[in-house]
Amino acid sequence: MSKYDSIIIGGGHNGLVCAAYLSKNKKKVLLIEQKKILGGLTKYSDFTTSFSKKVIKDLNLESYGLNIIENNEDIVALNLTGGHTVLGLQKDKIYFKSTDADNEDQKSFLKLLDKYKLFAKSLSTFMYETPPRIKSGLKKDLFKLIKMGWNIRKLGKKNTREFMRVVGLNIADEVEDNLNDDILKGLISHEAVLGSNLGPRSPGSVLHLMYKQAIQSGNLFTNTKIETSNLINSLENLLKEKKVEILLDTKVKNLEITNNKVSKVILEDDKEIFAETIISNLDPKSTFFNLVNAQKLETDQIRRIKNFRQKGNVANVLITLENEPIIKKYKGNILNTTFIFCPSINFLEHAFNHSKYNRNSKNPSIKLNIIKKEEKFFIRANIQYIPFSLEKKEINEKENIIKDVTNQLHQFFDKIDIKEINLNTPNDIQEDIGTYGGHWHHGEFEIDQMFFLRPFYGFTQYNSSIDNLYMCGAGTHPGGGINGINGHNAAKKIIQDYK
Amino acid sequence: MIDNISYKKPLLETPFHSKTSELCYSNEWYRWGGYKIVKEYTQTELEYTAMRNTAGVLDITPMYKYSVKGKDAKKFINKLITRDVANISSNQIVYALWCNENGFVVDDGTIFCFDDENFRICCAEKNLIWFEDSAIGFDINIEDITKNIGALAFQGPLSCKILKLLEAKNIENLQPFYFDNFIINKQEVMISRTGFSGDLGYEIWCDPSQAHDVYDALFSFNNDYKVLPCGMNSLEMVRIEAGFIQPNADFIPAEQALRPNRMKTPLELGMSWIVNLDKDFFTGKVALLKQKSTGVENKLVGLDIEGDKPAHGAILYNKSKKDIGIVTGAMWSPTLKANIAIGYVNKDYMKIGSKVYAEIYHPEELEYRKIWAECKVVKKQFFNNPRKNATPAFV
Repeated sequence: MSKYDSIIIGGGHNGLVCAAYLSKNKKKVLLIEQKKILGGLTKYSDFTTSFSKKVIKDLNLESYGLNIIENNEDIVALNLTGGHTVLGLQKDKIYFKSTDADNEDQKSFLKLLDKYKLFAKSLSTFMYETPPRIKSGLKKDLFKLIKMGWNIRKLGKKNTREFMRVVGLNIADEVEDNLNDDILKGLISHEAVLGSNLGPRSPGSVLHLMYKQAIQSGNLFTNTKIETSNLINSLENLLKEKKVEILLDTKVKNLEITNNKVSKVILEDDKEIFAETIISNLDPKSTFFNLVNAQKLETDQIRRIKNFRQKGNVANVLITLENEPIIKKYKGNILNTTFIFCPSINFLEHAFNHSKYNRNSKNPSIKLNIIKKEEKFFIRANIQYIPFSLEKKEINEKENIIKDVTNQLHQFFDKIDIKEINLNTPNDIQEDIGTYGGHWHHGEFEIDQMFFLRPFYGFTQYNSSIDNLYMCGAGTHPGGGINGINGHNAAKKIIQDYK
Repeated sequence: MIDNISYKKPLLETPFHSKTSELCYSNEWYRWGGYKIVKEYTQTELEYTAMRNTAGVLDITPMYKYSVKGKDAKKFINKLITRDVANISSNQIVYALWCNENGFVVDDGTIFCFDDENFRICCAEKNLIWFEDSAIGFDINIEDITKNIGALAFQGPLSCKILKLLEAKNIENLQPFYFDNFIINKQEVMISRTGFSGDLGYEIWCDPSQAHDVYDALFSFNNDYKVLPCGMNSLEMVRIEAGFIQPNADFIPAEQALRPNRMKTPLELGMSWIVNLDKDFFTGKVALLKQKSTGVENKLVGLDIEGDKPAHGAILYNKSKKDIGIVTGAMWSPTLKANIAIGYVNKDYMKIGSKVYAEIYHPEELEYRKIWAECKVVKKQFFNNPRKNATPAFV
């Protein structure tokens, strides 16, 4: 008899959510985390705007100290030549505060966002479902598939047609058809490709945008946010109360597999732990190549894992400032604002050109927030494209990126006194957290890596071809972002399988 | 102008080419793995007769040869193939199949064990990508060494005798599916007791620089024993008689098949004897276990056909003229004096002794004669001479 019902490997937010749901269902859970702190990749983000409301409600996280911050923050699309475009948020509704774009452009911009919101909402209904198996022959799966189709068809003839038209389209074509203002075009394009290995002219970038919105229940920008440290703390409190054992600073060496079944977890110090189900919160490549060991996998499976696109493209920068920075031509509140620097589609496409050849963008796009903590100012920025690369990098690569980024920042900051820059490239993120490729979402959101194809054929539905091995990380459906849905879905599936 | 683009380059020549091209009266070439080798030297039947009565020499250099070296080599081979090689010893060879996850055969070949950390895989089709993907997670290094080794098949009842006359020491005691190093004509070469003829035979593996000396040596006693160079056509004849399967004829390699339902599992090929389902893990095990319990839909069998007209590509029917299979290889066997074929029949007819009918279209000077011939399902090994496995070998 094993001491635990389930062992979860990896203490990222999805692992915590999965543990919470399982313990809520009276399962004895052990959570193993290699670092000294929980949270995994969430440490690279100060806030999450997309954490699932359903999970918060189900787990009653607010009573464990979760603090949802409601603020109507501004989104500023920086403009070097003219005035910045400032978008305000009023209860998930976007309006223009100031812009250089003419009225017609403003209208079509909002119309475009409304369209994506509508489509994203119809997609978002699948987010809490275990994706169906197409050829299982089960009525349940067939019903789900029909439901998926119906959810889109329900949009009406005109909208379904429009959905089918844009779903495979690239974002550049789509915005160029609708907008004139470069800043607005750049803004949408940037949001469409952020966190992916797509350029504005890559097919599927519209789907990437809609899918990201679908995970955040339809909104591109939301007016609620949660501090990630607060989120992890509240989940930790919950797990402690449910008596989930948490092993910090413990590394799993591998899983032992006999007769296609996980029999035990072997820790770095050769200690063995048994459980009925083993749940991996790691990304698919790490799960199968590091934990399972490819020796126990069929060659076709190895190929699918190998070909899973999981190359990170975004570097994370934390800049410590000497004093309060001043942004050129910007009078508003700098603290409660997201700044996006992507002045045009071509700017982004040029940035992407470098990435195609595994080089870092000379002129990367930047999305940043200015944070004030204990009277000190920080900038948290995401830099795209800084591709993950297996090739040997140049020695002073990081210095070069920092130089490029500071040059870029000086373009739109009047005053910025940098004390210290902490840069984390995708390679650094892989080294730190272990996520292969340092990819935000544990894998690209593209049509062949979504829904019942995520992460890959034979491993969907949170389980794998290896008995008793489950996955709850962002590599599963629906995917990345700090939303906890993967953990919820995986737990649901595991509990179902128990019955 | 000769381009550097691979498909514009002429076919490669084997280390034996200057010798074989001299002897190739008919100038008929066969394309195999980017090389050209002789299809027919003078007359296929004559070459066949040499292989069945004296000995024949075939250039099999284009056969793909992969070296598998490293700490996990044995473990890797055991994951790759359906047989268990846990107890394989040095200098031993196994004939093996490897399958994909659905149990469909990717290819077949012979696996040479030098020691636990050094193996060589010889097969008819390109497999490097499959091996490399299978090798992920193993501490091994796989290399394509096809062009580094010249290979000759030396098949026939007198093959041992001639090698002995060439002073290959103790060659008669080399057991089937074993190999060793021998010196012939002052050249040290590797000789394995393997082959594609179903009779006594050897395969000689040498360095390309030794190729001419080795080749000439095999013909040095032609005053007494008529050894002939043989082309691929005659090999096709002996392999059908021996009941050996051939990729792209009897099965479509799973990596090449365009239609998923055209691939075949080892059980369908009648090769369940080399599938070890007790082994802990190998690629395709789960699917093969499942197929073993449900049974196969069709199976490759031997057919003894009435009459003397070979049933090339014939469709097989049952008594009520419903089609139940297809012939994949057929010939009139001069040795057995029988009209034989191998082909697929569906599950109701795969028992030995079942009766099926072949619809043979026999070409006769611009016209076809349609023959409705009764066939008996028999074992694939039509030609199975005890000489094949006798040790010491027939001298």
